Amino acid sequence: MKHNPRLNERIVQMPGIDRIHPLQPDHQVQGLLSIYYEMQEMLAICAGMDAVTLQPVAGAQGEFTAIRCIQEFHKSNGQAHRNKVIVPDSAHGTNPASASMCGYDIIEIPSGQDGRIDLDALRSAVGDDTAAMMITNPSTLGVFERDIARAAEIVHDAGGQMYYDGANFNAILGKTDPGRMGFDAVHYNLHKTFSQPHGGGGPGSGPIGVKSHLSRFLPSPIAARRGREEGDPVGVDDGFWYFWEEPESSIGKVQQWNGNAGAVVRSWAFYRRYGHELERMSEHAVLNANYLRHRITNPVDGQEGTSAFLEGAPASVVKHEFTLNMTPLKDKNGATAKDVAKRLLDYGYMAPTLYFPQIVPECLMFEPTETESKEVLDKFAADFLEILSEDPDTLKSAPHTTYVKRVDEVLAARQLVLTYPFE
Amino acid sequence: MDQLPNLGREQEMLSAMGLKSMDQLFEDIPDDVRRTEPLPLRDPQSEESILTDAQRLLGANVDLDSRPSFLSAGLARNFVPSMVPMLATRGEFLTSYTPYQPEVSQGMLQAMWEFQTMISELVALPVANVSMYDASTAAAEAITCAVRVRSKRADQPNTVYVSEKVPPHRLSVIRNYTQGVGIKLVPIPHTASGTLDLEAATAAKGSCAVYVEQPNAFGIIDEGLMGLRAVIGDKTSLIVGVDAVSLGVLEAPGNWGADIVVGEGQPFGIGPTGGGPIYGIFACTKDYLRLMPGRIVGQSEDSDGRVAYTLTLSTREQHIRRHRATSNICSNETLIALMGAMHMALLGPEGLERLAMRTAAAAQEAMEALLSVGGVEPLYPSAPVFREFAVRLPIPSKLALERMDKLGVTGGFDLSRWWGDMGDALLVGCDERTSHDDIKKLVNSLESAIAGVTN
Repeated sequence: MKHNPRLNERIVQMPGIDRIHPLQPDHQVQGLLSIYYEMQEMLAICAGMDAVTLQPVAGAQGEFTAIRCIQEFHKSNGQAHRNKVIVPDSAHGTNPASASMCGYDIIEIPSGQDGRIDLDALRSAVGDDTAAMMITNPSTLGVFERDIARAAEIVHDAGGQMYYDGANFNAILGKTDPGRMGFDAVHYNLHKTFSQPHGGGGPGSGPIGVKSHLSRFLPSPIAARRGREEGDPVGVDDGFWYFWEEPESSIGKVQQWNGNAGAVVRSWAFYRRYGHELERMSEHAVLNANYLRHRITNPVDGQEGTSAFLEGAPASVVKHEFTLNMTPLKDKNGATAKDVAKRLLDYGYMAPTLYFPQIVPECLMFEPTETESKEVLDKFAADFLEILSEDPDTLKSAPHTTYVKRVDEVLAARQLVLTYPFE
Repeated sequence: MDQLPNLGREQEMLSAMGLKSMDQLFEDIPDDVRRTEPLPLRDPQSEESILTDAQRLLGANVDLDSRPSFLSAGLARNFVPSMVPMLATRGEFLTSYTPYQPEVSQGMLQAMWEFQTMISELVALPVANVSMYDASTAAAEAITCAVRVRSKRADQPNTVYVSEKVPPHRLSVIRNYTQGVGIKLVPIPHTASGTLDLEAATAAKGSCAVYVEQPNAFGIIDEGLMGLRAVIGDKTSLIVGVDAVSLGVLEAPGNWGADIVVGEGQPFGIGPTGGGPIYGIFACTKDYLRLMPGRIVGQSEDSDGRVAYTLTLSTREQHIRRHRATSNICSNETLIALMGAMHMALLGPEGLERLAMRTAAAAQEAMEALLSVGGVEPLYPSAPVFREFAVRLPIPSKLALERMDKLGVTGGFDLSRWWGDMGDALLVGCDERTSHDDIKKLVNSLESAIAGVTN
């Protein structure tokens, strides 16, 4: 949940984007094409990739699109028999779901004690049937996979492709990139890293970047340009003529038009605000996560509560997020991670992600982003620790101050009142 | 840069942690993958100068409202009431997270539930989700959903029949979503009058599903589709793709046997926006509920017994079911769907009917006017149409469009971009904003374009 600049909303209400049809001829949309081109280039640079498409409209669709490209790549090399995709057990649920929709069988490999890839497990999982490995780095525990290059080597040696889930890209921009780590394809979440607002569940935007050997399979079309020639209209007057181009062996379409152009334009405005300083954004996201983790695990002012949790993963530093295992609290007084999350609502906080990743029992995941100030982080840590020492009944019956009290999710699934009952 | 509240306070925060430099926060990244050189990107800009650049670049586009425009092809150059963007950009809607914590998301959840209600009423089916990405992914996931439900007992397992006049971009999405999971797509031909060949459709009996569109890609209202259920029997899913606005005047597919209705929601809620964000609608009978894709909101109670709303049936979804999930969809188009609900609420049933009448009337008037131009013929004579219609020109439609463009008119869509053998066919789209004057300019510019060739 990061800052969503109001400027971006002002820009997307301009007729030059709101009142544009995706099938207009190139000469009528030179401005939009130039923004697409600039975003493709910027995203390629940030991820160390060679080509980018902005067509996928959500992270999950980006995953699906990249796995489709990898599938066609294998087919074109006479490797259609490769039918397995490897995912760590800490992966986002979309990873196995996306690969499965392409027809792949999923091999889930266990993570090591510290939440990192178990290289031995990976070695025994790969083979002549490996199509790809899907992994996010830093992992969903907020820990950087230091063995990532070795993992990539193992998968590549077996003939597989490496896919980078960019959900956690906010942690590493400018500090490393998936290309260096050995990845062949990556998706970006413009709604996580580049400020497209979440809107209660969407719209998102999930562009993908690929290395050159996969670029000819990208969905159609992508924005391209050439030097402006005599006789060309003036366009955006930057010396180039922009046009839509179909990649040579394109998989076709994954969204019916050119993706969520409105999200692309918002993210373009966000990028322009940072420029080459995008790196500062990641630094501050990581600074905030580590600072909050430190505050929670090293309380000031004699606050108690730290015996109520374990760290989800031991690590000297985390990246943009970290996890806590609330099992000790549950053992002590029966209050669950969910109860703690609900009590945080009373204090005016949006609760952390709950029970994910599944490999951490009673998991709470904290991702403050670069947007929160030091004061907010200090106050949050103090309130969080306060909650852990509260009467367990107060937690179990939380929230107390919200518009409605705890909502019965089981009843919702049993009675299934999904529309207004007019009769 | 000025959006970082802790800028300039790094040392204070680092020393609280016993660290000295920001670099130490990244020392867990091994040297062989660490980036040390700065990103080769442009200089940061102020809000003011970004706005200037946005005005310059977006101002270089030719927006549909700046001239008579007849380009539709499945999207609408609609009128969105001012209240819709005003409400939708309130922070409570715009910047809120997925409502995983229902106690602090009741407004969002109730709005989503009311969207489900409106879609359900519109298409006459009891269940609707809170949006797919667009009409094409909605159609594709309707097909995979129908196969999950029907395949085990089907005489033609894993087989789905699809109208051969589904636009190629939609068919491409459908192919991408079905190719890996062993679904066989079989085309159903259309007759010389542009409607679905009902006789040929009997082949679909015993298959998992049939996918058709009403109105179809040429804007034709195909009355024969209302008899399709009888043709395919009751063991095959009937999936109907709709123009949501048309349901203001046409019979809802749920009332003529559809099991799943999908379609483009964009005409309600948002401008064409360069093709996205838009949203797909997805509604179905209860038989498909537990195997359908997407988020669903249900009514429940809080611990005091008051009415409350929450996401429900999430055990279908990827974050729980992982590779056995009914879909990979996670982020969707919720906010745009809510803009659609706001728009529909402002219209009301009578307003919706008027909107549909205006759209249909504009298409009828434009079609009659164009057919008065010498050499212009209907592509499919005597077919009733909604929003769009196709005509044959005496010159290539690509050339006609180029010439009309120079005269300041966007004349429609060159159908040969979809079907190579339709080089002289023009698809003309109308909407509630099409004026008599627009139609006059359309006719005049086409006459000039044609004259440019013959002279």
